[in-house]
Amino acid sequence: MSSYSNISRRDFLRVLGLSGAAATLAGCGKTSIESGQETVQSFVQPEDFVVPGIGVYYASTCTQCVSRCGVMGRVREGRLLKLEGNPQSVISRGKICALGQATVQAQYNPDRITSPLMRQGGALVPISWEKANQILNDQLGSASRLSGKQIAFLTGEVGGHQSVLLNNFLETFHSNHHVVYDPLSTAVGRSASQVVYGVDQPLLEIDKARMILSFGNDFLGVGPSSVHMAGQYARFRKAPRGVLVQIEPRMTITGANADHWYAIKPGTEGVFALGVAHALVQHSAYSNGVPAEVISALKAYDKETVSAITGVRAETIPHLAGMLWERSPSLVLSGYGAESHANGQQNAASILLLNLILGNQNKTLTGQAKQPFPQLLPSQGSYKAFANLNNEMSAGNIKALLLFDTNPVFTSPGFMPFAKNLSAVPFKVAFATQLNETSNECDLVLPLLSPLEDFGTHVASYQPQGIELGIQQPLMTQLYPQTRSFGDIMLDLLKLRGVSEYKNFPNYYAYIQTALIKSKPVFKSGLNDQEFWEDALSKGSLRLDVGPSTLSPKPNAVSIAKPKEEAADLILPFHFVPSVRADWRDGTHTNLPWLQESPDTLTTVAWDSWVEIHPSTAEQMQIVEGDVLEIKSSAGSIKAMAYLFPGIHPDTISMPLGQGHTAYGRYADGIGVNPFKIIAPVYDEKTGELAMHATRVSIRKTGERGRLTKDEGATNLQQGRKLVAMVSPDQVNLSKEISHVVK
Amino acid sequence: MNSLFHRQCATFTMIFFAFFLYCATAFSEPFVPGGDIGSQTENGFNSLGPVVEQPIEFPHNVHAGQLGINCMYCHTYARRAPVAGIPRLNKCIGCHQWVASVKDKPRIQQLMEYWDKKEAIPWKKVHDLPDFVRFNHERHIQRFVFQENRPAKEACGYCHGDVANMVTARRVKALSMGWCVSCHQKDHPISATNSKTTNGPNDCWQCHK
Amino acid sequence: MSLSNLLNNWAALRETRPYEDQYKNSDYKWGMVVDLDACTGCNACTTACYAENNLPVVGKETFAKGQVMHWLRIERYWGDGEQLPEFPEQGAQFLPMMCQQCEAAPCEVVCPVGATHHTPDGLNSQVYNRCIGSRYCSANCPYKVRYFNWANYPEKAWPNPLEMQLNPDVTVRTKGVMEKCTFCVQRLTEAKNVARTQGRKVADGEVTTACAQACPASAISFGNLADPTSEVAKIWKQQQVKLAKDHQDKEEGARGYRIFEELRTYPSVLYLERVRDNEV
Repeated sequence: MSSYSNISRRDFLRVLGLSGAAATLAGCGKTSIESGQETVQSFVQPEDFVVPGIGVYYASTCTQCVSRCGVMGRVREGRLLKLEGNPQSVISRGKICALGQATVQAQYNPDRITSPLMRQGGALVPISWEKANQILNDQLGSASRLSGKQIAFLTGEVGGHQSVLLNNFLETFHSNHHVVYDPLSTAVGRSASQVVYGVDQPLLEIDKARMILSFGNDFLGVGPSSVHMAGQYARFRKAPRGVLVQIEPRMTITGANADHWYAIKPGTEGVFALGVAHALVQHSAYSNGVPAEVISALKAYDKETVSAITGVRAETIPHLAGMLWERSPSLVLSGYGAESHANGQQNAASILLLNLILGNQNKTLTGQAKQPFPQLLPSQGSYKAFANLNNEMSAGNIKALLLFDTNPVFTSPGFMPFAKNLSAVPFKVAFATQLNETSNECDLVLPLLSPLEDFGTHVASYQPQGIELGIQQPLMTQLYPQTRSFGDIMLDLLKLRGVSEYKNFPNYYAYIQTALIKSKPVFKSGLNDQEFWEDALSKGSLRLDVGPSTLSPKPNAVSIAKPKEEAADLILPFHFVPSVRADWRDGTHTNLPWLQESPDTLTTVAWDSWVEIHPSTAEQMQIVEGDVLEIKSSAGSIKAMAYLFPGIHPDTISMPLGQGHTAYGRYADGIGVNPFKIIAPVYDEKTGELAMHATRVSIRKTGERGRLTKDEGATNLQQGRKLVAMVSPDQVNLSKEISHVVK
Repeated sequence: MNSLFHRQCATFTMIFFAFFLYCATAFSEPFVPGGDIGSQTENGFNSLGPVVEQPIEFPHNVHAGQLGINCMYCHTYARRAPVAGIPRLNKCIGCHQWVASVKDKPRIQQLMEYWDKKEAIPWKKVHDLPDFVRFNHERHIQRFVFQENRPAKEACGYCHGDVANMVTARRVKALSMGWCVSCHQKDHPISATNSKTTNGPNDCWQCHK
Repeated sequence: MSLSNLLNNWAALRETRPYEDQYKNSDYKWGMVVDLDACTGCNACTTACYAENNLPVVGKETFAKGQVMHWLRIERYWGDGEQLPEFPEQGAQFLPMMCQQCEAAPCEVVCPVGATHHTPDGLNSQVYNRCIGSRYCSANCPYKVRYFNWANYPEKAWPNPLEMQLNPDVTVRTKGVMEKCTFCVQRLTEAKNVARTQGRKVADGEVTTACAQACPASAISFGNLADPTSEVAKIWKQQQVKLAKDHQDKEEGARGYRIFEELRTYPSVLYLERVRDNEV
């Protein structure tokens, strides 16, 4: 009510705040025609192209996920307003996803750390950089006696020159103890891909395929390069039109866009794939390249047997095999869900085998271009390495732990007791832009520049076309004077450790600039050094136009073993699928309000967690929407409201990862629950990775009922209204259409 | 129960109405187009804005008056951007680093202090339209100066007054919506069925964001 | 305003526009094409709209009341029938729904204070200053794409320094006014300004809305329907959908349609049918 006293009719609308650091501060005042209240945008010495009122676009690289899309930021009067895709980036092609858009909220998040923090008496208190540097010197300086495994650097999938510096730093302790923990590790898929194709990750030529058979691969959602792949998918749908068939226990965004979606019993995807292989090798055209022992092993996978194991109707198998015959070249994809079981690698290898039988290699599956800078590639995360670190910590072997771009207290499975083991480490340093559950437990927290204020180099592990070395540059001057670049801090630490080769670099910018200019011959540039550098900055990347490499698959290496019969579990009867949203990922981004307010694509729920349960199962158990359910596994239990979801196998329930934060800012705390904590200790047999989809749970109605916050309103049916009209391909003539440009 | 309920309703309604009246009268201010209304001229009514104190007392009369510098030399963005802009600091320095005759004057010394610190001068806005209004300088300068070939003094002076005779700038016109619309309506009278797109100035969305 | 005046004006409005070739001699008529076949439902467009247009994040409680402010929303349907299928075998259907900028907008005629009009370049304008919050316009809108500011969202939506993200070209609305998608009119005005100074019209592809720019599948196309060489005009023509007709005579196989055409709103957004293979 107090605000009314100051409002006249003209004051009806207000604009809050303005300026960035480069301009003067503006008043936040009334908006009548007035004089002398606000200050003008005043410049000292701007570049010629800076005109007040007109935005300037600067290129950079997005760091929010592994895709490493090229972006550009609209900057007005020294202040970054919005990100767009950079049309000059081959990865993003001028497009951007919701997570990329929300990066500006990470930049301007009210809960950012603005000064170094030190643990004192159980709480983190602000200190000066002088004091922080002193602590770093005491613990990690030239007098430190730490060596080998005693010091560990735990990170997310960091690459580029940051990772070079990080590893050089560890080398000064005679250590290579860089542990990369990716809670959504693709290690199993990579291992299967190595077995079958000889490469970690082949290039997927989605737009060249006439049919895609995807076993839960979420290329439109989680990646590995979803912005680029959405463009490929759009072209895939134009003439000559491709068909997408998705088989998975729980519908992903990719599955939602399929021509046909099949629900399958979790963990049996490999068996189904072998059933299709069995049908295919009946034809000599497809059995030619396949080794005899594989063909004889496939004999056991007749359609009745497969149908009994997987729960999919037997006729589906010859039907799909027939389609694959007709629509060539095809593309068969394995997905995270199929890979996240005890027989995950086996599942994935069986699925990928189909590509070999169909002869898709070097048609829709090619090898990525050869990497000129392998040391800049991000180290891929693995659960095994993380679990080893956890054991070392609990044994008291880790004396110093540095953490960057990771939140293991939140993302580690509940049975681990990672938080407890963390407290046993005598010195823990976190590099962060915002406090989270992990950095909250550390002894020293160093405040970082946000990704939009920093320099960096990035080479995505999935390069869709040639090689793109993404350059990250600041889109505005730093908001908080006390924040520093991770690269700068590492350089200082290296100098502290007496590494002479870094003496000549005053800062990380100089280091990257020197390194990239040195790489000029690789990029075959005829420009002089200064022009080369400026050109790279203005484009946001350095490009190498090389074609894909040839894939040499190894069919002999694929072995087929009949999967163990899974015992029916009466105590924990349901399969639990922790789903991954493309924008929330492992929960790193639920501190961004736009992403909390953005309704989930498939359920339209916002600002909460939910339990997806099939309507028939719900009816049997007399569960209605909003019933608070307790989901209990062998490792723990969590509670959330039920959501009736037809896109899920009736024996399966699903919950989204990413909610359940307790110390991650005002937009994440106290919202939803954290499914990481109930993941059971089941591991993939071949790789030892944590099998994220192998958890069994029980459901119990708590008796409470609430109301889910969702966007869909009263109905999710079109009820005969022509809203999203569907038409079959024979009724339209796509080749006649003006294909509106798919960039 | 019934009558008690009705009495409670009536009381509540009266209290609410009284409160509404109180708010409407006590908190609403009469709309005054920025200051005292001056005399009417053919350009619309004059309305004197308050004297605005600037961090440096910039004498327009010296620069625009005595020296006859074109408005657009300093306010260079007026012809190429929606915002006219205040000259960047290095534009002032561009001349004043050479002008020996005024080098020791107090205002120039103030200027040089800002330059030495590379600090932007916090000029105060004199002509400040509400933030929900989109006023495009470029379109007005393009029309009046470049298309109709009026001298800058006349084109800029129509809205900003006789700046060449002011020390620090002061608002002398109403700049209210009615004042703007009175000019826009001269050649483009509003019509309910006119769908010509060059009727731009009378479309609400041309100026209201 | 007398009753006869009201009735006369109503008749004039319904007869005056839209009419065949209404925009033939106009410089601009902004239109859109949304390809439902390409839309994956990823919500990149809705987030881009939040960023561009200063949309407030209202928070859980307000969202639960149905008072979320997304000018562009993705609606998700299961099948096209009356019954929820046992399994959504043809996937989900996603509909990006924003203000359709109807040529005969039901919202324009019912505003008691004239806060919503039709601009010469074919947009439905919303003037926040005039709006008194009667909400008649949103009641009349069949697409339900008008959003009312039920509370003073600027008080809580942008705690410092989040307000630095606000776009200065777009008003920040306070309690009591109606808002809706504007086809990013601030971008259009900027583009028209640049083109005018250069003595030309805005070229096709020179300006686009935030949602169209973001969409990774390029499902949204935006352009000038009055320019026959523009991409959207070509698509509208090829799909045989005419702006001023409420019932299209077109051949089988053209998959363009407009939503609720039978209500005679004459929307400016064309949707292309989602193609899904039944045989599969």
